[in-house]
Amino acid sequence: MSLDQAEPAAASAAAPGVPGVRKPGGGAAAGRRRRDRRSGRWWTPWLFLAPALILFLYFKFIPMANALTMSFQDVQPYLGNRWVGTDNYATVLGSTGFREATWHTVVLAAGQTAGSMALGLALALLMEGQSRRLGFVRSAAFLPVVVPIAVVAELWRVMYHPTGDGMLNSLLGLVGWGPSGFINDPDTSMASIMLTGIWRGAPYDMMIFLAGLTSVDRGLYEAAKVDGASRWQRVWHVTVPGLRSVFSILFILAAIRGLRVFTEVFLLTNGGPDGSTEVVMTLIYKLGLEQNRLGVGAAGAVLLFVATLILTVVVQLLRRRESK
Amino acid sequence: MQRSRWVGAGVLASALVLTSCSSGPAGVDAKQNKKATLELWTRTTPGGPGEQGAVKLAAAFQKATGYKVKVTAIFDDFETKLQQRAAQKKLPDIVMNDVTQLGAMHSQGLLREIDLDKVEDSDQITAQGLDSGKSVDGKQYGLPYSAQASALLIRKDWRQKLKLDVPETWDDFAAMAKAFTTRDPDGDGKKDTAGLAAPLSTKRGYASWYFSSFLWAAGGDFITEAGKGTYKPAMTSKASAEAVQWFRDLGCKDKAVQPGAVTMDTPPTNETFESGKTGMFVVGPYLLPRFDETLGKDKYEVVPMPKGPKDSTVLAEGGSVYLMAGSDNRAGQDAFASFAVSAEGQKTGMEGDTAYTVQLPVNKSVDISQVRPDPRWKTYAQAYQDSGRYAPSIPNWTPVRQATADTLNALMADCGLDTGTKLRELDKQLASILEEQGISAS
Repeated sequence: MSLDQAEPAAASAAAPGVPGVRKPGGGAAAGRRRRDRRSGRWWTPWLFLAPALILFLYFKFIPMANALTMSFQDVQPYLGNRWVGTDNYATVLGSTGFREATWHTVVLAAGQTAGSMALGLALALLMEGQSRRLGFVRSAAFLPVVVPIAVVAELWRVMYHPTGDGMLNSLLGLVGWGPSGFINDPDTSMASIMLTGIWRGAPYDMMIFLAGLTSVDRGLYEAAKVDGASRWQRVWHVTVPGLRSVFSILFILAAIRGLRVFTEVFLLTNGGPDGSTEVVMTLIYKLGLEQNRLGVGAAGAVLLFVATLILTVVVQLLRRRESK
Repeated sequence: MQRSRWVGAGVLASALVLTSCSSGPAGVDAKQNKKATLELWTRTTPGGPGEQGAVKLAAAFQKATGYKVKVTAIFDDFETKLQQRAAQKKLPDIVMNDVTQLGAMHSQGLLREIDLDKVEDSDQITAQGLDSGKSVDGKQYGLPYSAQASALLIRKDWRQKLKLDVPETWDDFAAMAKAFTTRDPDGDGKKDTAGLAAPLSTKRGYASWYFSSFLWAAGGDFITEAGKGTYKPAMTSKASAEAVQWFRDLGCKDKAVQPGAVTMDTPPTNETFESGKTGMFVVGPYLLPRFDETLGKDKYEVVPMPKGPKDSTVLAEGGSVYLMAGSDNRAGQDAFASFAVSAEGQKTGMEGDTAYTVQLPVNKSVDISQVRPDPRWKTYAQAYQDSGRYAPSIPNWTPVRQATADTLNALMADCGLDTGTKLRELDKQLASILEEQGISAS
């Protein structure tokens, strides 16, 4: 700050012949010089960005461009890749179950997004505040996010044991239900995976909601209370509108996460039983990596990328229109 | 502002340019050098007993022939790493990997043909073993050095408690599976056991892999050869359909397959057997050391698979030696292939309690009981020699295995599905897979 303020003074001192520097409509050359002085050379920001950009270039952009080229090729590293036009895309789009997998992905993404956000908001409202004990509870609630997904999957597999003596099934048995097949039954497998995803995703959403809640004006709560609003009305008419931007950010994050869902499905069911949980990523993995057809896998990945991109852009546009 | 946008575009453009100049034409003949160290890749856990076994074999080879070998063990993403080396046009000289990888590696041009005249004991290799190394055009591209076959593991104490005989037929097998499920063989008063342990997940096509022995013993087939290296789908044939129905009844009617089987690959399935939740398991010999330790040698027995409707064919698998293209020491490659299947090489490969590379010998002149006195190994060796059958070496076996695994998994998971409809769908799918690989009969 102090440098910025000092600079114009120094400039006018160094150039006594141009006294009108600070006046509006002064010489254009002088104006640019001043801006250059202030912000440095045009490449200075790029220089600072360079380390990150080089890393991104080599570990993100080049592989991405590579995947794009591969998606139009029959990939044979030793014999040399062969251009096949849009054949790979035709294979992916025409493969059995791609449409089903897309539908499953959308259902799973929607369910997990909605579930995690609802549960996350509920948790956040419960754990809002300054008390020291709350900090401990919050950390405990956040644990599912920190635990590696492979461990989570194994844990839930044990809990989902399909016989009466399984952990969740014995709970269901207490109220006279079950035993359910959970991930082993085509009818319940999708819901089971969704539940695991919500359990894992909700605490993450909770943290972001908690951050958002601090920005909601306390005065509004008090005003609402004075006006005789019930607790529920306060949440609905004060908290939720106040968290609108948080909702849209969470929605984008969760939707992207939902579309790319892979690990929990791969570890819990690998798309089975009877293809009832096949999602786009597990299909790409099967086509591309297990069958060693990298071109086909790349085509699937590009399609998924395009879908994610469209989703993000649409949400951004909606947000912008709304804020206008 | 304008300028910075251009810079961004430039960075992106250069990224695209950089990536587009990645691959050139295929590798040419390398200049030969008999002194060059042979680079050997083997698909086994680095630092594990498998690697020690490979190192031991390499040392014996070096001593016998004078060629130098450097062993590299890779387990995770073996194929991906091989692809990376292929992209660099610098393949290892020798690869020891699963027999089913032949089609994939051959169609990628990674292999060179093996001249059987340069393999001394080639006439001693089992016929089905030798065939497993042939590509669809009938040329030899792989040489098996180790074989595996499946046999039936039974909880001996359970069988004796229920006073049952070792199963001789499929009916006996089903009856025993049912008895283990319903008659409380572990005597804890709870119905918490199942007859058969079966990994029926779709992962890596486990369901299809496990079912192979049953399908073939019934006279069925996934795809059958229709002459001149062409194939046609065969899952709707009478024998295949009956095998599927029989296996399905085990799970759906008798409830004799462990609960949750449809989402289990091998590790959790192994656990059900060693923790006393299941009483029968059809597996290869590689699990014996593990079960001896966790379950106890006296608790279970190894018997040949009972005879199915047709015969007692079992799935044979194993590892092959592949000679990679573009090597600068082809003489050394040939010598290694020859040594690996020779009587001496096979015996060296079998030695040791855990650090062995050869499970069952492929060389007929080698008697397994000379190296391993444990009679259970003899059971396996016999099963392999008499009834072992490999998956066909089509260009890419994985899609066939995956498609059949998906269908089997569906049929076992949802007992309400119609077997015939599902199998007809599967055959259609198999037909298009064969078509795509250019080996369809129609």
